[in-house]
Amino acid sequence: MRNTISYIHNSSKLTLEGLPDLSLNQDNGSIGILSNWQLQIVGLTELEGKREHLEQLMNVVYPYARHLVSSVKKTFGELKDPVAISSNNSYHQIMLRSSKPGIAPMELQLDDAELSDLLRCLDDLINDQRVLLTWNIPRSIPLSRREIIGKLPILQRFTAPVLGITTMLFCCLIFSVIPTPQRESAGENYLDNTDLIQN
Amino acid sequence: MNQSSLNNSQISFSTGRGVNKLGKAATHYSTSQVLGRRGLERLDMLLLVIESLDLNGSQAMVWTSKKMGLDTKLPNAVEVWKFRCHNPLRKATRRGVLNSSESDSLILLVCAMSERLYPILRQLVSSKEPREINEERWNQLSTRLKDLVSERFNKRRGAVQALLASEKPYNSIRQLVLSLSLCAGSGGFDRLKASLHDVTI
Repeated sequence: MRNTISYIHNSSKLTLEGLPDLSLNQDNGSIGILSNWQLQIVGLTELEGKREHLEQLMNVVYPYARHLVSSVKKTFGELKDPVAISSNNSYHQIMLRSSKPGIAPMELQLDDAELSDLLRCLDDLINDQRVLLTWNIPRSIPLSRREIIGKLPILQRFTAPVLGITTMLFCCLIFSVIPTPQRESAGENYLDNTDLIQN
Repeated sequence: MNQSSLNNSQISFSTGRGVNKLGKAATHYSTSQVLGRRGLERLDMLLLVIESLDLNGSQAMVWTSKKMGLDTKLPNAVEVWKFRCHNPLRKATRRGVLNSSESDSLILLVCAMSERLYPILRQLVSSKEPREINEERWNQLSTRLKDLVSERFNKRRGAVQALLASEKPYNSIRQLVLSLSLCAGSGGFDRLKASLHDVTI
């Protein structure tokens, strides 16, 4: 009754083991209860765990990849989180921390190709109609202005406002130096006008 | 199950392993939102990179769109070209905007072509490939892309000039290739669509 489903993309192989939930009349070939999973990436340590560990991995890999598509390299996962992913030069570093005390965190360094392979394995899992599990993972949404601005170099980010403020101050200085024209008094104008009328 | 369909609520396309529901994950932003100027520019650039990677790219696009059941939207190369002409950087640019179903069909096409070209994309972004061979691949891609850009884009535009002027525009091209490799596969549609709708600055 135990079912095994594998997803293979070049360097990555994700294997799920589980059982159908017969109380929900699920097919014999499906997985409704996940008992174990293994992730093998060529040249790296094999990972395995329970459902919550896989969901935690998805919860950092998906938003990281989403940001990477928009050329934004952002760290996902805090120091205390079991899984975190960050950019390290041209590599992507996945940090795994065990909940058991005394076990040092494990680091996996993936290149762009390995990250793409891993992502394709996860995509296949989520869209597989044989796996009848509901995954609590973040949706892909457009990035906000703040996130996009964060990727710009400081010089590029501040050039426009600095240039604008400088130009405005320069214009103010120029206009303050120009002498204001002296207006003739209203009485003189009146007299001039009366002279014209009399003539 | 080689049938595929395209509508506003749910989008699906067939792969070798069966039909994948790309539109299953409902997005938080409006799905009927039209693509902005930057989104159109980037979408056309991604298609241009695909054409640079595949010499028969334009024909492959038509063939792929037919295979995916997008032939009502993209029946031939002329219709694909007309959609792509909404890119304001092109020499022959069209006014107006692409509606959401038109832009979705182009995004689906990019994802399907990325899946088709995935072995080449993977080779390009892999650090395990021999360095000299990979540099040669990048040079070839860069040359082809520059040729296509100078042939089709308006050279008076600053963005086009910047791309053509730089000796080694690897960073910008690498980013496009990486986006394509991350958008290949069943979940790529949502990622790419969300990315094209990013707030512009």
